[in-house]
Amino acid sequence: MMMPTLATAQPGALEKLIFGPKLPASEPAAMADGLFMMITWFSVFFFVVLMGLMFYFMIKYRRREGVPTEPSPHHNTLLEIFWTVVPSSSLLVMFVLGFQGYTQQIVSPSDAMEVRIEGNKWNWIATYPNGANSPEFQPLSKRVVESADGMSSSTIKGRDYPIFYLPENTSVKFRMNSQDVIHSFWIPEFRVKRDVIPNRYTTYGIKTPRLTAADTYTHQDTGEEMLGRDMWVFCAEYCGDEHSRMAATLRIVPQDYFNQLMEDWGVTGLPWEEGEKIYKMMCASCHLIDGGKLVGPPWNESSDANGQYGWGYPASLASGGTVERDANYYRESILDPNAKIVKGYAPQMQSYQGQLDEDDINNIIAYIQTLSEVPPNPHLEGEGGESESEAGNQAEEAAGSES
Amino acid sequence: MSTLDAHAGHHEEGSYLSGPPGIMAKIWQWATTVDHKKIGVMYLFAVLFMFFVGGMAALLVRYELIDPMRDVMVQTVDANGDLVETTATQGENLKDLFQGLGMAGDLTGTQIYNRAFTLHGAVMVFMFIVPSIPASLGNFFLPVMLGAKDVAFPRLNLLSWYIYLFGSTFGILSILMGGVDTGWTFYTPYSTTTDADHWRVVLMVTAAFILGFSSILTGLNFVVTVHKLRAPGMGWFDMPLFIWAVYATSIIQVLATPVIGITLLLLIFERIMNIGIFDPAMGGDPVLYQHFFWFYSHPVVYVMILPAMGIISELLAVHARKHIFGYRAIAFSSLGIAGVSFLVWGHHIFTAMGELAAVLFSGLTFLVAIPTAIKVFNWIATLYKGSIVLNTPMCYGLMFLFTFSIGGLTGLPLATLATDLHLHDSYFVVAHFHYVMMGGTVIAFLGGIHHWWPKMFGKMYSEPGALIGMALVFIGFNVTFFTQFFLGTQGMPRRYANYVDEFQFLHQISTYGSWILGLGMFVHLAVFIHSLVAGEKAPANPWGGLTLEWECESPPIEHNFHHEPIVKHGPYDFETTVPPHWDPKDYPIHPDAGKATH
Repeated sequence: MMMPTLATAQPGALEKLIFGPKLPASEPAAMADGLFMMITWFSVFFFVVLMGLMFYFMIKYRRREGVPTEPSPHHNTLLEIFWTVVPSSSLLVMFVLGFQGYTQQIVSPSDAMEVRIEGNKWNWIATYPNGANSPEFQPLSKRVVESADGMSSSTIKGRDYPIFYLPENTSVKFRMNSQDVIHSFWIPEFRVKRDVIPNRYTTYGIKTPRLTAADTYTHQDTGEEMLGRDMWVFCAEYCGDEHSRMAATLRIVPQDYFNQLMEDWGVTGLPWEEGEKIYKMMCASCHLIDGGKLVGPPWNESSDANGQYGWGYPASLASGGTVERDANYYRESILDPNAKIVKGYAPQMQSYQGQLDEDDINNIIAYIQTLSEVPPNPHLEGEGGESESEAGNQAEEAAGSES
Repeated sequence: MSTLDAHAGHHEEGSYLSGPPGIMAKIWQWATTVDHKKIGVMYLFAVLFMFFVGGMAALLVRYELIDPMRDVMVQTVDANGDLVETTATQGENLKDLFQGLGMAGDLTGTQIYNRAFTLHGAVMVFMFIVPSIPASLGNFFLPVMLGAKDVAFPRLNLLSWYIYLFGSTFGILSILMGGVDTGWTFYTPYSTTTDADHWRVVLMVTAAFILGFSSILTGLNFVVTVHKLRAPGMGWFDMPLFIWAVYATSIIQVLATPVIGITLLLLIFERIMNIGIFDPAMGGDPVLYQHFFWFYSHPVVYVMILPAMGIISELLAVHARKHIFGYRAIAFSSLGIAGVSFLVWGHHIFTAMGELAAVLFSGLTFLVAIPTAIKVFNWIATLYKGSIVLNTPMCYGLMFLFTFSIGGLTGLPLATLATDLHLHDSYFVVAHFHYVMMGGTVIAFLGGIHHWWPKMFGKMYSEPGALIGMALVFIGFNVTFFTQFFLGTQGMPRRYANYVDEFQFLHQISTYGSWILGLGMFVHLAVFIHSLVAGEKAPANPWGGLTLEWECESPPIEHNFHHEPIVKHGPYDFETTVPPHWDPKDYPIHPDAGKATH
């Protein structure tokens, strides 16, 4: 039987088959795998013994005509005590080792870097100690298929998910909280998850691994091979329509690169750029910007059987009638989403009161304005240009004058 | 269990299946019957229908998961040499299927998937597996095996049946109105906030609430029947082990079901009257719901598995013609499991609870493993020096030992805290509980139906046909669910309509397995229909069993026995009761039987 500590060195072939090609990312994770393998070998042993006996009896004592059964005892106290005590004591060992591993997996040292994790339907948002959020996104899997004649290629990918950066060889503590229903923050390579609950913080700690030369990832924008390690993050507690698309990438990078990112992300961009960041973090799981339909209506200029969409176009309401999509409409839809329901959609959205402040709302409106050809202030026709960059500036003025 | 005058013929009494002439008269007779056998048969067909509905939903779920949902962006060079980009979504299999049928409505692909898996879970748990064995085979055979004419409260029994029908209608209504997407566990605050302008969640919860009463009344009826209506000469330890198992089940049902009733009622209050109990936005606590819910639903796991264990004890003993090994150990472990089952609910919420509570519940959870392991050892030891015949019921009995052992052993890494943090809410859990629920309960149920089919309907089934069905079920089941252990350890979460490409290969194998499994079930269906239409007439005791149901005619007469049976030997006394060279098929044994053969 393999002891858990030995397994941390190099996983065997069976372990690779069970846990896949991705190695455990921390010492406690490797210990957990070792314990799993120990339980597996224990189970395999008992299973083989039991099934071996069963098949042996099945063949040896198969019914033969005219051969009566031989008498055998109806019970045997010694034997029964034996097969009660032996499994019970093995279970005690599993319990104690499981308890030890559990404490190592969820407790973090007091000097750990605290990263705040926020779950909402259906996004993960990580906030770093300096208040920055990650502006980078990539799909969890992506492949390019070339057609046989080379005339076309198709890119097959999932949706874009945020990339959370963490420095290598660092203790990190996640302080987690949900804005709506229960979620669960699972990083399979760390072999740990915990539920993310609306009315309290839950926490766990991880120690990020040291990077080796073999750890590389391809940067999503530049295509460059860089030192680092990408991992999946999934939501493991069912949370509704897009539960299976509530994911992220966790990327372990060298410390100095991480520090550089923290500096860069701390700087605030132009309003519609900030608005786009918020869109990707919090809105993209329900609202598309290519006219497609998800849980909520698209934001860009488009139309379908239920009416028109986009800044400046009238919204057809489920209750009948239409309403102009102006800054007040969007503000109300963010803070009191059920006040006006667009035709063809269910009242699914929850209020972002308290989650988005006035600046955030203005930034989102500025971003929405860039998605439409209608100028930001249609009733002030002729004032201001048509170009996109100017539209953004105007949006800021317009929003400022309204508030 | 010989009776004094089993051979005294009163064959003029018709079987319980014979009724008055005229179709309306027959329907009226069945609808108003207080005969436990008729009620059992009606339950049998109802739960099998629900199994079909739930199974179809399962096939839909597996169909969606053949491939992940992906956005495809195709770049083509057109005639002018310009790059043209088009985008499309691929892999929304259910949406495509339902759109083809004109049933998709406004729903997105993931919304259809979420409704399909909720339908599968809710129907399978509340309408199929909880009532399955106790309400159908239990209702039919518990009084007969005790030597009684009926259950203690026959009218109450009929009431449970109508409550079951009434509750099921609410569930079906909710499905027809568009379905529910909460998962069968109705976790708050999701279940109190989703779908806010519709009543479907309330309807589905009401259905579960009403079905609970059916369980309570059936359980109460069985407890009293076992206490008061055992035949003269039958002490507690002369009862067949199936009775012990159903008895332990009934105790759990009576004690645990009221808790879910209260919980679901609170849920309805919260949704309708906005009283904050579970929703934090109204001052409630969402994890409280999970404690309430699992305080019922964990014991109910044993409501599902204990009767199955009872069936296995019967199948192995009868078809190996061997006294069960460690009768008392098996009987007491049933009660032990029933007791411990109330103390382990916390392991469903390891990842949502405090550290101390998690450690306590982990320790308690391991306790359940012990009586379960004892039972498996006893069953294997029963086969020793037996006379084993590999017919369909016995094959299902042996298959149970195989799949249930895998199900039980894979529970160990889930009870171990350090490994559960990874495996919790992953496909490993899905595989584990399907090995216990399907590989345990459903397999034993199928074995039990084949075992008692000749008794219930007086017809034999086609053995080769049933064996083919059995083999397909075995292969299909293992292909479907064994792959899911690997999906779980590699990081695939539960209840996902969509997944990363790395998991596709295993998901495809699992889906192909589900088709084999489905085919096996249809073979069984065909065999049963063939048997009802053209089956050979069944003898009273086709397998040579010694429990009292084999003393009745096949099918039994309305009052089961011509005279009250008096029990003279234990249920598994094959060695002492059956004279050498005497075929137990010729049971009941005539007082002169031994002499006649010598």
